[in-house]
Amino acid sequence: MAGSTIDHLVSLMVFLGAILLFIGLFNQTIQTAILYQHHRSIATKCSDLLDNMLLNPGVPLDWGKSNCTPTGFGLQDPEFTQYRLSPFSLMRLNYSAGEPVYYSKTGQWYSNITMGFGKSLLVPFNEAVNYSTATRLLGVNGTYGFCLTITPIITVSISEIQSNPLKLAVNVMGAGFPLANANISYCFLTVKATGGEGAYPSYTIDYGTNLTDSQGSAYLSFPSFDGTEESYVLIVYAHLSGLVGVGYHEHVQYDESYVVPFISDFETKTVLIAHSWDVHGEGSSAEISYNATFVLLTEDFSLREMPLENSTGRINSGDGKPYNNITIPTYNPGILVITYRKSAQQSGIVLMPWGISSMAFPVTFGEDPIGKEWVATDIRQVLVNNIAYQAKLALWSLQGYQVIG
Amino acid sequence: MMRTIEVFLVIIIITAAFIISSFFAVLPQPRQVSPLNLRRLALTTLQTLDVDYDLSGTAFESPNDLAWGELQIALSACLPPNIVYNLTVYEVLSGGTQLYTLIHSISNAESLGVSSDASSYLVASSNVTFSVVPEKIGEHGGGGTLYILNCSDANGWWITGYTAHSLAEDLYNLLSPYFKTTIMVQNTTQLAQILDGTSVQGETLQNATVINTVGEAVPIPSGYYASPGVGYDATYSSYARYCHTLGQRVRQYNWTWVSIVGYPLYYVSNTGLFPNEQNTWGIYGMKDVGPAGLNAFLRGLDNQAYSYNTNWITGEPGVVYLSSEALYYCNYYGIYPSPYQTSTRALPDSILDTYNLPESSVTYIFNEVDDWLPGAVLRHIAEGDNKITGSLLALGLTRTPDIRLTALGLLCAFKPRLYRSEYTASGTSRLLVLQLGQVGGA
Repeated sequence: MAGSTIDHLVSLMVFLGAILLFIGLFNQTIQTAILYQHHRSIATKCSDLLDNMLLNPGVPLDWGKSNCTPTGFGLQDPEFTQYRLSPFSLMRLNYSAGEPVYYSKTGQWYSNITMGFGKSLLVPFNEAVNYSTATRLLGVNGTYGFCLTITPIITVSISEIQSNPLKLAVNVMGAGFPLANANISYCFLTVKATGGEGAYPSYTIDYGTNLTDSQGSAYLSFPSFDGTEESYVLIVYAHLSGLVGVGYHEHVQYDESYVVPFISDFETKTVLIAHSWDVHGEGSSAEISYNATFVLLTEDFSLREMPLENSTGRINSGDGKPYNNITIPTYNPGILVITYRKSAQQSGIVLMPWGISSMAFPVTFGEDPIGKEWVATDIRQVLVNNIAYQAKLALWSLQGYQVIG
Repeated sequence: MMRTIEVFLVIIIITAAFIISSFFAVLPQPRQVSPLNLRRLALTTLQTLDVDYDLSGTAFESPNDLAWGELQIALSACLPPNIVYNLTVYEVLSGGTQLYTLIHSISNAESLGVSSDASSYLVASSNVTFSVVPEKIGEHGGGGTLYILNCSDANGWWITGYTAHSLAEDLYNLLSPYFKTTIMVQNTTQLAQILDGTSVQGETLQNATVINTVGEAVPIPSGYYASPGVGYDATYSSYARYCHTLGQRVRQYNWTWVSIVGYPLYYVSNTGLFPNEQNTWGIYGMKDVGPAGLNAFLRGLDNQAYSYNTNWITGEPGVVYLSSEALYYCNYYGIYPSPYQTSTRALPDSILDTYNLPESSVTYIFNEVDDWLPGAVLRHIAEGDNKITGSLLALGLTRTPDIRLTALGLLCAFKPRLYRSEYTASGTSRLLVLQLGQVGGA
């Protein structure tokens, strides 16, 4: 009788132990499967959301060229179909990677994309579309977080090999390969700081073409130009088999004080010209004069200058010294080139893209994905005013997982 | 002891069940859980490379051409380093059982790994000529006749830089493919004939469209249509009466009357009838009617009794923009006038109520500015009725006229469909298949 009871007890204990062990094992398998399913749904959502952003122009269609807050979020160029993005809608996104800039004379904060000295795009916060608005318009507010990065596929880097006479090396690289035998067309703008006290700087523009070698490099020589004594900027467009990239290089003689262009109004195409001392509070506060022009890329990949009204002026810092205004004459993307001078020896150039693609500026919009649980990514090749970009969306869930274990 | 053995047997069974279920419950690899959408990436890569039709051009080059090398460089440059590709070009065949034949293939790897995806893209040769067959207006209903007033005995005003004849020719070239019949009304005698309800060449008179090419003037036939009580108002010595009769005829025959520029029906013109009269600006063969002409026309259109009204009714909204509908049809019909124009003779929207031209039936060519209609097709629907009885297309723009706007306005109003020719003609289309694979990683 006692042996039978012990037998019962032992068998029951072993049976219960085995059941618990197997429940644990099965549970682990099921949890893993649910997590996989959850991750799969995030990946699908990521792909869908990316297409949703890139394949619709938003509401209203031309919100990128106006000051209104869109009621539907989309980045497609309303004049085209497929994956062609509006260079102006991208300009209106609040660039999350840049340090915001405050300009006291307008009392506004500005979204900041700066690619080095004198190459910046500053958009007022009240006209930029911020991340929370975008998530609300996309219907993912509180459910998903994302980071959209749009980066140019072709990188055109320019370096100075020799200053006098000036010789520059242009290197054209794709995402994974140099762009050999690519055609390049360039615009070489030099500042002439001649004239007496307070004179406006003048400039000359030369255009040319060249071809890259098997390493994707080309060398440009300017035999009659002394790079140690004059300021200049070189803007290069490289193209091969439909791929187009942009690069630029500038050299300034004087950077103690300079002009800082701010976007003021998208609808009226107005740009503010501010003094650097008012913006950064450092360097020289002395008055500087400037002379602006606008260059745009034509369909045959050559660059063309477009005259501006009120292109010259003087700008000073401090109270009672207002900023100036320039109106861009077109909605065709291009580059606002502003030459400035303080004296006959002190001159420089700053650039501002009108339409994000004209200077191949990258765009980062959204939250930082670092540290987020399971980030799904997807990419598309897109065109922004014929410049090849890669759009990458990183997406993660904000709702956690309903799994115990 | 027996029960312990039984329990162990149960454990063996459950273990076997777990092993068997684990064997079948194969979880996907991490890459498959969150995959890169290679199909979309392939498609967008092909679209990027074809932005200026470079890809289309290369697809038709011989396999030894340098363009293939450039394409390979471009493909390698635009894809991420961990993506391998294979691009294959096929000739699209027509007829027979074989649909495609291989032309050429380029790749940067021997294999595309364990998982890959592909997109296809059809390109056309630049030698292809596509034909478009438009639907004829009136094909599925009445009408379909286009009258272009090309009256040799009438002078024009506000068509500066053009002659009525050159405008008529351009309109003929632009619009005749869309109408069943196009008649050039060569003189005011023929105009009188159609006003009388007699066809010129056996065409359908009802529901026709009449384009007045002489700008702010309108040709007036001599005789009956210039006679007192029909075309001439003896009390006020004005030919505004003729405009009233025109309005009545437009209503009677359900015509669409088209004014291409300026103030509609501001002058009447007939070089034989007014050889010594001039329009106050030195153009002979023309007589000033003033705003009374349009007012009388609208009264005639609405079947109201004639009255002489010299009130100026148009306004000057200035720069005006094509409506979204007109912009859409610019692309559809391939007509691209400037999207903004200057309007100094825009009709007021108050006439919509006054003359039974319901807003719901208006086709806007230009966006309405304040209360002005710079360009629109106004359709008359009598009170208590539901059918259209006459229309007026008025472009209240300043000189000189752009007749592409007239053509666009009419096409917006009638919306004839375009039937495009077969795309996959033999030897003119090639299919590109870009297959992408991912290397490295789990």
